[in-house]
Amino acid sequence: MRVSKTLSWLALGGVALTLTACGGGDQKPTTDAQGNTVIKYWHAYSADSPEIKTLEDKVIPAFEKSHPGIKVESVPYPYDDLHQKLLTATAGGTLPCLVRSDIIWVPELAKLGTIAPLSDEMTDFDKIASTTYDGALATTEYDGKHYGLPLDTNTRVLMYNQATLQEAGMSKPPATFDDMRKLADGLKGTGDYAFADNGTSGWNLMPWIWSAGGDLANSDMTKATGYLNSPQSVAGVQLLVDLYKEGELPDIITGAKGGEETSVGLPKGDYATMLDGPWMLPIFASQNPDFQVQTAMMPAGPGGSISVVGGEDVVMTNSCPSKGDAEQFIRFLLSDEAQKDMAEVGQMPVLSTLGSQLTDIKPYYGIFAKQLETARPRLPHPEYPKIETILSTEVQKAFTGDTTVQAALDSAAKQIDGILASS
Amino acid sequence: MTRPPTGPPTRPPARPMSRPSARTTGRFVVLLVGAAVMVLPFAMMIATSLKQQSFVLTPSLVPDHPTLDNYVRAWTSSGFGRYFLNSAAVALATVALVLLFGSMMAYAFARFEFVGKKAMFYAMIATLMIPAMMLLIPQYFVARDLGVLDSRTGLVLFYVAGQLAFTTFLLRGFFAGIPRELDDAMLIDGANRWHIYWHLMLPLARPALATAAIFTFLGSWDEFVWAVTIIDSKDNRTLPMAIQLFQGQHGTSWGLVFAASTIAVVPVIAVFVVFQRYFVSGLQAGALKG
Amino acid sequence: MTDTASPTTGATPAARPRVPRPGSGRRARPRRGPAPSGGTGHGSRLTPYLFLLPGMVLFVGLVLWPIVQAARMSLLDWQFNPGLPSPFVGLKHYDRALHDPIFWKSLVNTGVYMVATVPTQMILGLALALLLNKAIAGKVAFRVLYYLPVITSWVVVSLVFEYLFATSSGLVNHVLHDGLGIGSEPINWLGSRWPAMVVLSLLGIWKGAGWSMLIFLAALQAVPKDLLDAASVDGAGPVRRFFAVTLPQLRPVALFVTVMLVIGGFNVFISVFVMTGGGPANDTQVVLTYMYKQAFDFLEFSYGSAIAYLLAIIIFALSFAQMRLFRYDEEAS
Repeated sequence: MRVSKTLSWLALGGVALTLTACGGGDQKPTTDAQGNTVIKYWHAYSADSPEIKTLEDKVIPAFEKSHPGIKVESVPYPYDDLHQKLLTATAGGTLPCLVRSDIIWVPELAKLGTIAPLSDEMTDFDKIASTTYDGALATTEYDGKHYGLPLDTNTRVLMYNQATLQEAGMSKPPATFDDMRKLADGLKGTGDYAFADNGTSGWNLMPWIWSAGGDLANSDMTKATGYLNSPQSVAGVQLLVDLYKEGELPDIITGAKGGEETSVGLPKGDYATMLDGPWMLPIFASQNPDFQVQTAMMPAGPGGSISVVGGEDVVMTNSCPSKGDAEQFIRFLLSDEAQKDMAEVGQMPVLSTLGSQLTDIKPYYGIFAKQLETARPRLPHPEYPKIETILSTEVQKAFTGDTTVQAALDSAAKQIDGILASS
Repeated sequence: MTRPPTGPPTRPPARPMSRPSARTTGRFVVLLVGAAVMVLPFAMMIATSLKQQSFVLTPSLVPDHPTLDNYVRAWTSSGFGRYFLNSAAVALATVALVLLFGSMMAYAFARFEFVGKKAMFYAMIATLMIPAMMLLIPQYFVARDLGVLDSRTGLVLFYVAGQLAFTTFLLRGFFAGIPRELDDAMLIDGANRWHIYWHLMLPLARPALATAAIFTFLGSWDEFVWAVTIIDSKDNRTLPMAIQLFQGQHGTSWGLVFAASTIAVVPVIAVFVVFQRYFVSGLQAGALKG
Repeated sequence: MTDTASPTTGATPAARPRVPRPGSGRRARPRRGPAPSGGTGHGSRLTPYLFLLPGMVLFVGLVLWPIVQAARMSLLDWQFNPGLPSPFVGLKHYDRALHDPIFWKSLVNTGVYMVATVPTQMILGLALALLLNKAIAGKVAFRVLYYLPVITSWVVVSLVFEYLFATSSGLVNHVLHDGLGIGSEPINWLGSRWPAMVVLSLLGIWKGAGWSMLIFLAALQAVPKDLLDAASVDGAGPVRRFFAVTLPQLRPVALFVTVMLVIGGFNVFISVFVMTGGGPANDTQVVLTYMYKQAFDFLEFSYGSAIAYLLAIIIFALSFAQMRLFRYDEEAS
């Protein structure tokens, strides 16, 4: 008899445990036990970084204090997972209210109907929008409407390890493509790498393509052939492939796991240089206090020293059941107070009024501001994630030696032409 | 492969004793080496979880300056205790419901004749051949329409549905082996069918229930794909998906990742070691002596 | 989604041998002869259905219906938004798959994984079972140790292997390259197709061998002792006894193990998802990761469903072929 008793207790206990603890995924405003409205906020701030601590321990508490009745639940994802989660949640109807979206996803999410046009939703949209940089604001635009507000902006500059440079006999960081090759030659046989990067997406490749004088597509976004496979674009990618073949660029470039990440290899001195954004400086400071990271401009090619504009927009989903409260948090995120707090930890503000104070907040913003003067945005196309997948996949073939850079980019351009033509 | 003789009772008495014992030693050594290979990855995992961050990338089995720091950080950071409880609650509820519903179905299949019995039974058999992941896409939308996405209810419901067929088979076989005379005796005493199921079948099927419980527990405790597909909220994450997300965010903090992994693996090993006799006895009693 | 159907997760060992054994049901029926009504004197005709009801609701609603639904989706241009029309497109998505080089690549990779893992697991499992089917010190401990990988979460073991096979700091390269001096450069295990397939297969073998072992062990213990005794009385040595008595007795179990391992091989997903994500350049994509990517990265749910169905068809065909093959063999011998 003991068995059936055990079983019934198990059943009761187990079911009760899950059912009581389960909130449903319903469309009514989510509230917590105290009756506060809960606004879910998805983002991809790096875990273990000062950014996420500032958001969760400083910005959100400050907002909740000044806005009683509203709670913000921060939901972090690894950057690589967030885009997929957003699409899946669109199909499943489980979107949060607010998302800190990479600027390159906004047109896609707008086209899918995932996110709401803030320029229609918020009565004070124009007023807030006017306080932000025009370039940053432009990333929220799709089909004549603004689907979000810029939250932070950034670009990639060269970060280097002085000791490893000296090992190669160089006193200054590589300023040109040729210097980069020299650095690689100088490091031959040391076991150290001249440069490291962790993928072949637009974020990784475009600085080299643009600096070499190439581009992804024409400005009308109708054609990639003739641009992505131009001799200039090929030369930009070829530099990386050559470094890889010479053993001067580690395998993480193909997205292979199990390699040493840039954030580890640079302070250890295994990697001489890398490209990254301003958030890395607080991360290095907190994780490798003994390491003095140096910064320099993106190495210049025939096209100049051109880096890539990065950044995030805050967007509100169409399915958000408590839009009014969510908008309150958007306003707060764009306040001087929140922008300054985040600026302390490497999130470059988008408020033009803070521009003059940038280097007072953190001196390292100087070089990013300078690099941003010439930096370019990735293709603001609703199919950009697909385009980027093609680019990334084809270029990986050049790295793994299956094909040449020219053939890889020819193939990518042809496929991208198809996407550009059909949308 | 053919070296080991089959069955010690057949050992011809004429042979000198030293040869079989040398053979036994050889066998033991082979098994030991094999076990070492099996255990090495676990050893590496635990060793790494005890290393300080700066030593994590040096491949050694013995941590230089062992520390429990990673465990403290893994447990306290990002709601890990919550994930553990989620996994436990989901696994427990799944086990209970699978055992209950599965044994009820098994009883019906073992003791009744009714219209559609064959069709239902073979439908269940057939689904055991289908890779569960094949159903992921439509199941995602069934879950959406039921409003159970991003909830533990959604995990439990689909885990139960997915594991029912197996448990039903296991228990049906066991029930069929219970002499009918026992039912008949109870029927004559005026017991109804539910009474027989609850007070006769279930207690007698104890070993089979234990076996089914273990497999179901492991199945839902370790399940990853469904969880990672339907769960968004931090509050609803289970251990395997939390660990995977953890690794995505702390790619270099292997010590932390493996501390979290070790925490997730320990209950599984405990359950297995405690109940492992049911694995084997379940296999023998239920499965292979037919 | 639930791992129960996959042998490599260890959820099935007890279940499956039940399937090819309809004898148990048949045995029960004649005994029921004297009371053909099956005890309907107590409770109505409805009784069995009441016992089936809760389980069947879940099974039909959450397993059977999705099977039908997947077929529907694969024949439509299915829109996840219920307000939009989902036009019927026939076999368009199947056609697309058959002309999709990445689908073929993923199929080849899955096949390679299967060829690498299935026979190895069989042989290792049988060998271990033979070694353990003896009075030997620490028998239970060995059994537990060999079975540990089977019950450990795929996510965890995938992460462990990723760490062991890391290019610059992994134990494997440390031993091979730094220790034994093999190769001029440390091997980039997860960064290109075949080395990555080697790692994935090794993981599959390591994780699954204990499962085959346990099944074979149970089967070995069921081999009638008197047969073996009779054989040795007839002068058969251990090798001969193995081939003449033990192996034929293991045939049905071997069939079962093969079928399950093949299904398990096609089911490979989590290790690839976690360790390579199908990259670089789709080089390590397997069928299920490709299906997942199409559905949940690109929202191509119809195409994903078509891929899933193609895989299911292949699995069914192979399973039937194996059963046929074994049966003919059995009849021949």
